[in-house]
Amino acid sequence: MSLYIFYISNFLLLLCLTASLMQSSKIINNKILTRPRVIVLAYVQLISILLPFLILIYLFLISDFNFDLVYFNSHSEKPLIYKFSGVWGNHEGSMLLWILILVLFNFLFALSRRISERFKEITVAIQSIMIFGFVAFLFFLSNPFELNQNNFFDGIGLNPILQDPLLAIHPPVLYVGYVGFSLVFSLAIAGLITKKVDQQWASIVKPWVFSAWAFLTAGIALGSFWAYYELGWGGYWFWDPVENASLMPWIAATALIHCVLILQKRNVMQSWTIILAILTFSLSLVGTFLVRSGILNSVHTFASDPGRGLFILLFIFLILVFSFSLFAYNSEKINKISSMGLISRGTGIQVNNWLLITILTIVFLGTMYPLATDLLLNKSLTVGPKYYSTTIAPIIILFLFFMFISPRLGWTDTKLYKLIIQLRYLIITSLTITLIISLYFELFNLTEILIIFFSLLLIISSMTASINFNKQNILVRTNLGQNLAHAGFGILMMAVVSNAVYSEERIYNAKVGDNLQLQKYIFSFEKIEQVDESNYNSLKAYFHMKKDGKLIDIFTPEIRFYSNPPTITSEASILHKFFSDIYLVMNVPQDQQSISIRMHIKPFMTILWLGTLMIIIGGIISASMRIGQFNEK
Amino acid sequence: MTSLVKSRLIKFLLSLIIVSIAVLIIIFNLRENIIYFYGPTELLKNSDKQGQIMRLGGLVSVDSFQNETDSIFYFSITDGDNKIDVKYEGILPNLFAEDKGVVVEGIYMNDGRFIANKVLAKHDENYMPPEVIETLKKSGKWQGE
Repeated sequence: MSLYIFYISNFLLLLCLTASLMQSSKIINNKILTRPRVIVLAYVQLISILLPFLILIYLFLISDFNFDLVYFNSHSEKPLIYKFSGVWGNHEGSMLLWILILVLFNFLFALSRRISERFKEITVAIQSIMIFGFVAFLFFLSNPFELNQNNFFDGIGLNPILQDPLLAIHPPVLYVGYVGFSLVFSLAIAGLITKKVDQQWASIVKPWVFSAWAFLTAGIALGSFWAYYELGWGGYWFWDPVENASLMPWIAATALIHCVLILQKRNVMQSWTIILAILTFSLSLVGTFLVRSGILNSVHTFASDPGRGLFILLFIFLILVFSFSLFAYNSEKINKISSMGLISRGTGIQVNNWLLITILTIVFLGTMYPLATDLLLNKSLTVGPKYYSTTIAPIIILFLFFMFISPRLGWTDTKLYKLIIQLRYLIITSLTITLIISLYFELFNLTEILIIFFSLLLIISSMTASINFNKQNILVRTNLGQNLAHAGFGILMMAVVSNAVYSEERIYNAKVGDNLQLQKYIFSFEKIEQVDESNYNSLKAYFHMKKDGKLIDIFTPEIRFYSNPPTITSEASILHKFFSDIYLVMNVPQDQQSISIRMHIKPFMTILWLGTLMIIIGGIISASMRIGQFNEK
Repeated sequence: MTSLVKSRLIKFLLSLIIVSIAVLIIIFNLRENIIYFYGPTELLKNSDKQGQIMRLGGLVSVDSFQNETDSIFYFSITDGDNKIDVKYEGILPNLFAEDKGVVVEGIYMNDGRFIANKVLAKHDENYMPPEVIETLKKSGKWQGE
């Protein structure tokens, strides 16, 4: 049985290779060859990847340990959901998922209507070249369907820290984001080849680039949320190289979506938009594979096989060389000289583009510097998180200002003094609230005050702009997506700053019966008990949180002992309140009588996630609007 | 020179200057915030590093662990050849144990002691930080492949 599955799956992968090769041959406009239609081949590509993926899921679910991949990454006693998510909890499986999404985007684009047949053919051809490359990589260098000769009774198991419902969905969501930019890249290259990067091109690209961006945002947020409650350090962002690797394409993509909008509206910045599309996809590739290659050392690293790393590096290099030579050759032909006013929305967006690229450079240098010194000087070092916060904070102030002012400017020259008069109430309100906040909370750091002030301006400005009444006094919503995302970003920045300033931490060693204090709350340690679950044993502590003698909540921080493979994890116990989170983590007892317990008060965490959610929903709304709703006043 | 070429040249030079200033500021800030990693032998060789924040890694030496109170601990970190005494106040991670790999972050004092303010947590019992493997390889004490 296993042998049949082995043959069928590998046959399907080869079928996909063939179909992709035929698809990519269409890049040559040759009328003599009779060729099957794009859509037929797209169906073949989809099915020949979808079936192996379903087969792999089936193999994990029935725990067929004849396959190496299942043996090394699964265990028969694992709960069903983790057998399922274990499919992409390893290098080969995650590659297959990555390719499946690549093929899915190719398929969906092939189905889309109102696009000229030739443009569609070229885009699909570019996308198919990539599919060909990655399927070949999968087939030859990371084949998920390798059989072993032994009859293993049971598997080795999945890293317990990955056994978490959030981590079951974090990789697929993140991948949809990363891979979505592959289609944007293909569209950019097709635009270069056909020498048509114009308003029509922008409206074809827009839904794809916005949905990829929304998924990438959601993927990063899920990872951050997971780190917050699973790693037990009380933080949500650590400027870890792996996190930075996902942040870099996000920053480039954020610049890109705004350029696509300007291009659609004003037919300017063609070259820059193409550069950003290439950059975003390259960074997405770096994001996926830097993380997986083993160069960065983390939970995310699956296998460190130099052959695989080399393939990806070569691939990224080829993409960059190919696309930039094409760009150099054709860029003069896509540029149209159109004018924008100096004090206009376009200029504001351009300035913020440069600010985003600066932030990208900061993150890039911080991430790559330790890698470079390690490789070149054989010296290991880390870059402290302070580097990022102190360097990025001043740029964020400017960024927030332009985010606030740009949508208020017209596309042509705007008189600045008129605008200030028009916005006077807004400015006064924000100034007052900032003053109250900084006096009440004794906040005297200028950077923090400025970030809060401009965030407030942005939030209030975006919220009032999204509620418009027309002449008949009927509520009309303009730019809902944009305003929601912008307000969300302001809320996120405010929460990030306040959270950094007002977090509090207490560490205790506690015995049963002890009363511990954290601000106005008393935690009484009631009991500790041992719990046996199917895939782990755990030690669970019970704390009653009281305020003025009244019981408010019960906390149960936990330490889990997994046996397959042997690992210990700490599970935080968190109470989410609107204005602050209370967060308890315990550690293995040093001796039998007491446990170490760490308590955090984390203000504005709920608000922080809320701001992020608003950004994601804003992105989805913008993606689903067919016509550009970038309003013109 | 035509005026178009001239204006392009000026634009190019201006942006070059701005970009270099920005990169210089970033790199300066980067160098301020770098935390170096050392093994015990390496650290003893670099005695001028005293007073800086750094990371130290190796194995926790056998029979070196003591606790003064519930949250103040003493232990030494070794690479087989040399060892450095560490004082740490805080919570030890779940998998902290003698003869296991460890990485601490803190300040190397003038008296040769290391005051740690962080013990970097790891989750896997068999996990060895790559820097520690490198350190042990340098001193010839690495037993793995």
